[in-house]
Amino acid sequence: MKFAFKPHSIGRLALLFVIAASILVVSLGGYFWLEIQQASRALRENLEASARQEVSHALAAADQRMRSSAMSLAQWDETRQQLVFPEYYPVWRDSRVRDAGMISSDIESVALYDRTGRILSAKSAPNGLPNLLPGKPPLFFYIANAGRHQIDYFSPVYADPAQAILLGYLGIRFDFLSELKLQRSFQFADLGRLKVGLASNSPIDIRNSLPHLQFDTLSNDHLATFLQLFQAAQIRLTLAVLASLLIATWLLKRLLVRPLRFFSREINAMRTVDDNLPDGRLFTTPLYITELENVRRAFIDYRQRLFSLHESLEQNSRDFFDQARHDALTGIYNRRAYDEDWRGLGNDRRLGQAALLLFDCDHFKAINDTYGHQVGDAVIRAIASCLQTALRTGDKLYRLGGDEFATVLLDADPLHAETVAERCLEHIMAHDFRQYGMSEPATISIGVAASQRGDLGLGTLQKQADLAMYAAKRPASPKVVFYSEGMGELNALVANRSINAVFEAIRDSRLIELTYQAVMRLPMVQKEYVEALTRIRLNDELIRPDAIFPIVQARKLDAEFDLSVIRAVERDMTEGRLSPNQGVSINLSAPSIVNAKVVDAMLTLVRKQSARKIVVEITETALITQMETASANIDQLRQAGALVALDDFGSGYSSLRYLATMPVDLVKFDISMVRLLEHGEARQKMILEEIAGMVIDAGYELVAEGIETRAQLDMIISMGFSHAQGFYFGKPGEEVEEKIRQDF
Amino acid sequence: MLRWIFLFMAGAATSMMVAPSFAEPVELLISNNLTARAEFRKGDSDKPAVLLLHGFLQTHEFPTIHRLTDGLAGAGYSVLAPTLTLGVTHRKQSLACEAIHTHTMDDAIKEIAAWVNWLHARKAPAIVLIGHSFGSVETLAYLSRHRNAPISKLIGVSVVEGRLKIDEKALDKLIRSTRAKVKSGKKSLITEQFSFCQKFLATPGSMLSYIEWSPARILAETGRLALPTTFIMGSRDDRLGSSWIERLNKTRAKVHVIEGANHFMDGDFEFDLLDRILLEVKAF
Repeated sequence: MKFAFKPHSIGRLALLFVIAASILVVSLGGYFWLEIQQASRALRENLEASARQEVSHALAAADQRMRSSAMSLAQWDETRQQLVFPEYYPVWRDSRVRDAGMISSDIESVALYDRTGRILSAKSAPNGLPNLLPGKPPLFFYIANAGRHQIDYFSPVYADPAQAILLGYLGIRFDFLSELKLQRSFQFADLGRLKVGLASNSPIDIRNSLPHLQFDTLSNDHLATFLQLFQAAQIRLTLAVLASLLIATWLLKRLLVRPLRFFSREINAMRTVDDNLPDGRLFTTPLYITELENVRRAFIDYRQRLFSLHESLEQNSRDFFDQARHDALTGIYNRRAYDEDWRGLGNDRRLGQAALLLFDCDHFKAINDTYGHQVGDAVIRAIASCLQTALRTGDKLYRLGGDEFATVLLDADPLHAETVAERCLEHIMAHDFRQYGMSEPATISIGVAASQRGDLGLGTLQKQADLAMYAAKRPASPKVVFYSEGMGELNALVANRSINAVFEAIRDSRLIELTYQAVMRLPMVQKEYVEALTRIRLNDELIRPDAIFPIVQARKLDAEFDLSVIRAVERDMTEGRLSPNQGVSINLSAPSIVNAKVVDAMLTLVRKQSARKIVVEITETALITQMETASANIDQLRQAGALVALDDFGSGYSSLRYLATMPVDLVKFDISMVRLLEHGEARQKMILEEIAGMVIDAGYELVAEGIETRAQLDMIISMGFSHAQGFYFGKPGEEVEEKIRQDF
Repeated sequence: MLRWIFLFMAGAATSMMVAPSFAEPVELLISNNLTARAEFRKGDSDKPAVLLLHGFLQTHEFPTIHRLTDGLAGAGYSVLAPTLTLGVTHRKQSLACEAIHTHTMDDAIKEIAAWVNWLHARKAPAIVLIGHSFGSVETLAYLSRHRNAPISKLIGVSVVEGRLKIDEKALDKLIRSTRAKVKSGKKSLITEQFSFCQKFLATPGSMLSYIEWSPARILAETGRLALPTTFIMGSRDDRLGSSWIERLNKTRAKVHVIEGANHFMDGDFEFDLLDRILLEVKAF
């Protein structure tokens, strides 16, 4: 059996000690009390024995005295005189015998009896003695009379000393108690409540009557005083010891327990401390016990060193915290700080007036690739500096990653947010980026979401700012875009359902549903090939391209998605949805054209479908970002037999330098440029016509998008466009042959 | 044998020496329920017997009587020292003045007569009556009652007047009133000053019997005695009237005064008294 030692607190042990000491004191007091009680009992028994002995002696003396008194009276001449001549017996009985001093005062009655035992002069005998002798004297008789104890003693009276001549008898009655008291001064026996265990009028042997007597024992004043003094002294001593224990308890608690408890608490607090160090209240005043005082001083030193260490650690922690929350490149807050502050605000919290501004550098990838990372870093630092300068003091600017920045304007209405955003834009535009070796300025897009009435949570605000940012990134969009209800589609597209559909489509290309829009050969207006337009059908729901591609771009899923689209086109070719000789145009995103997998898949398709006309549509962005890789890949595709079309020309960051060097076969005028050709100002028309002429003169085939009317068709034919596509030739998926035949 | 002869002779001599002083208690039945006690010392048969009577309420063990008894017995006289019963059988104690006295002078006379008869029956050649104090009065009363008593001489030692310290008129008045009580049959006890008793409690008859022996009657009866009478008195006896000894001297009795002696003749005067009495007895 193993003993499990369990420590106890000093307070509990001290309390146990005090309780044990108190019990010891009380026990010792009780022990001595009992000893005294026992001694007192023994003394009382001795007193009782002494009292019995005392009474026994008194009885013997009383017996002797009564006999002696009776004998003296019997031998008195005048007694014999009365027995012989009783004429004046009453006088003798009532006065003479007392006047002569023959009987003591305790003898209450005297009577004389003749030889026959008959009392002399019975009529005049009120003294209580019987008229006839109760027996043959000498004889003692006990009389209980009204609570008194009386003894009648009868003795013969003789005429001669030889007791040969009996004259009669003598009777005396005395008070038993008085007679006993007369014998001696009782020191032990208390005869005040004497009881005689004999019937009245019964013989009694006084000398041996002790067993018949009941009496009390006189209280021994000295013993009682001694006991009283001892008990009082014992009570005082016990109380004094208990009081001393209380004082000792207080001193123990004050001098030992309390400091030790504080020590224990302080040490425990140090053991479990998080942000709180011991309060050290105990250590302000010196302790009375040397050892504890030494411990206190050592503890103070230790605590001070601990405080210093703690402060040092806290400073380091703050430094680390700051470093962890700041972007090393720009010095502004980083993504972690953004997330923490965002969590600090609380995702479920309803904001009052607040605005979230998201900043994104346009074509930063292209800048980085074109001018190198050092220039890219300088651009990022410059943008961060400009934005920080444009913001209010106290507004935090975060670098979310790469070229993305954000700030939250608390207590800012939409107008103020717009002002800040415009100021940010102006600061960027005013910055001279040429100092970094760049030939063109860096621009940013700003998406703004504002909460005006506390009706938006942080999550919603962030989502809306994202949508606004995507909107701002779109071609021909203003650089500062506020989220509006019109962005509901985007909103819907970025919903989880759409995201899920995109991922499902990447995983399973069968979910991609392609529709094909005809691209007509001009001026014959003959369908030469079709452009594959991508949609996703998931659970009988059709998700359109304008919902798909923002997600793809936001999630950087361009290459994966384009691979799935390529597999879908190949599927349609295999399954006959495309006629065997039907040419097809496939859109590849900028990341895809520099992605080896996508290029390989595209090359495989081109080579596999060599009988078909395969057009690869790329955006000018692809050329800007990784010009060399893109050019090499395009060359491979063109060598394999594919045609390359530059899509959406004129919608965004267009550069004639790119146009001059791009290795493409077709240039697709953006629908916005087509509309400008029809409805634009003369100068706009002239420029566009010149551009179109230049493209054509450069040897490219020119494709017009968004042809919706015959007038537009005629115009572009006159301008020399080689291809056209649009709703005029039918909606995607419709057959266009019949319609074209009717119009022409 | 010779040894036994010597032992016998020594025993006889011893018995002869102690015989005169041998005290013999004597009891005498006075009546059916009354017995008197006395001490008798048998003396030489050829010498007169002496009857010593104690004083008022005393016994034969009274020191004066006791010393005389021893002295007379030592001188070879038979001595009878009775104790008057005073109504108490086997009386052996002095009777207190405050005791209930029912005895009378007649009772005393009867008892003296009985003892005289008892002594006379012992064949004494002569009987001398010696009384001390009031005992002298009682022996005088006996002799006045018994004129032919076998008494050869009366010696009164410190004879008293009886009723002391009262004048003749008052005494006569007391006697008359007491006599009236006796005559009327009243038996209530009365208290009067008598002899040495300040309060003598007695029946009227008892009281009367004693107070009737007035000084005058004592002197008168003394004068009427036919036998030799001697009164031995102490010059310092304070129990007597101032002229009592002088009045005694006026009688026919011989009065001898011992100078310096008191009423009890004690101390050195006991020898004077004894010598005087022996002289008186021898002279007889």
